Amino acid sequence: MTLRHYLSLIDDIARMALKADAARFYFGYLWWLIEPLLYVAVFYVVFDVLLGSKRADFLAFLMCGKLTFIWFSKSVIQASRSIVASKGLIGKIDLPKSLFPLASVQEGMYRQLAVFALLLTYLMAQGYAASASWLWILPVLVVQYLLIVLASLIGAYLVCLVFDFTLIIGLAMTFLLFTSGIFWDVRALPNPQMADWVLTLNPLAFLIDAYRQVLMYGHVPDLVHLAVLGLVIAVLALLTLQVYRRNSQFLALRVITS
Amino acid sequence: MDSTSNRAVMLELVDVSHSYHARRANFERGIHRVLDNVSLALRRGETLGVIGGNGAGKTTLLRLMAGIVAPSSGLIRRAPGASCSLLTLGLGFQPNLTGRDNARLSALLQGATRQQAEACLESIQAFSELGVSFDEPVKTYSQGMRARLGFSTALQTHVDVLLIDEVLSVGDRRFREKAAAAMRDRITGEQTVVLVSHSDRQIADMCDRAAWIDGGRLRALGGVDEVLEQYNA
Repeated sequence: MTLRHYLSLIDDIARMALKADAARFYFGYLWWLIEPLLYVAVFYVVFDVLLGSKRADFLAFLMCGKLTFIWFSKSVIQASRSIVASKGLIGKIDLPKSLFPLASVQEGMYRQLAVFALLLTYLMAQGYAASASWLWILPVLVVQYLLIVLASLIGAYLVCLVFDFTLIIGLAMTFLLFTSGIFWDVRALPNPQMADWVLTLNPLAFLIDAYRQVLMYGHVPDLVHLAVLGLVIAVLALLTLQVYRRNSQFLALRVITS
Repeated sequence: MDSTSNRAVMLELVDVSHSYHARRANFERGIHRVLDNVSLALRRGETLGVIGGNGAGKTTLLRLMAGIVAPSSGLIRRAPGASCSLLTLGLGFQPNLTGRDNARLSALLQGATRQQAEACLESIQAFSELGVSFDEPVKTYSQGMRARLGFSTALQTHVDVLLIDEVLSVGDRRFREKAAAAMRDRITGEQTVVLVSHSDRQIADMCDRAAWIDGGRLRALGGVDEVLEQYNA
């Protein structure tokens, strides 16, 4: 399989999955927006209405964090199950196993484009000035995509080995939900050193903060940090793909006999 | 001596064994032996029939030949550049997609480019006789319509070694005859084929040689008549 064929196959599978998914639900494609908005609504009720946030811009702040976090968590959870979910196909045809998580990630990206459009529209409606500096979200977006790819590849491999990892991955997402600064501001932590630690150790916290820096405050994100992060993730993802290539038949056997 | 015996070897299995660790219950594992020291060679253009009871290891044999799984020991040699692929009735149809989209997806998964996939849709639609239903979701199809779509899609598989696991009887009687005829054309032509079947007649009609697999071991390999005779003894 050539690289070009491999990449176009990822995209084709993703688009077919979107089509099938939209056909299954009464509201079809609308769910791409409804679901994330419902998540935002729940968090808004709890952290602003009930607990009373001190920020006037809490909804914009929350949307920047929550809508980008859901992209990560939903994609990784779905992609992690994608290989075992394709048992029938894997028993019949010798395909690169990385195809399944990557198609799943690509599917999530298409959905997320609609969510980003919604987020930007809301911010503009709230009076945040759309300017050329918003284009700085593009590199942030690319790095987040790479992070999703890496986490999905690792997750899907582990779930193939032992299905119990689906539970662990679910728990990990809850852990990240609380530690990535989605409904609280990393930069407002009382201990500035602690804020540095969070931003360095949790790439998701860094990315979410970067989205806010660009979209809410019109700042340029920390480009050195972003470049190093992107590079490290890309190298790790390529290494993981090598592991997939080498163990393709082993993974097939695990899936078929599970 | 038959006409294929001096042709190039397309696929060769040398002392191939296959076993895996199966989990019986929590924390308990056992080794499951599926194939045991199987050796055989397949020459260009020949059709090899494989017979054996349920659970004898026939499907695993085809999966090993297709390169889906690797043997635990032994060697599988393929002629350089030779593609080996399982012929399957539809690669797990997505019920919410139309027949056309499912056919397209199957073709893409089997290695076709977008243009090639697009090009073969016409003939799939024609052969399947689905008419306007081809553009309706597969979930609205009857069992027979699904089978027709599956067979017509499978017929588009173009590989050097075609591995067939019991797909010859689908649809109503008329379609079944048409399908059998199309399949016979493919098999008896220059195509190299491994055909798994429970039907003695199919094996006798279509195959040049036969192999009998029993309990993971190769019990007999040779002319169709003598192998069938031993199998039925």
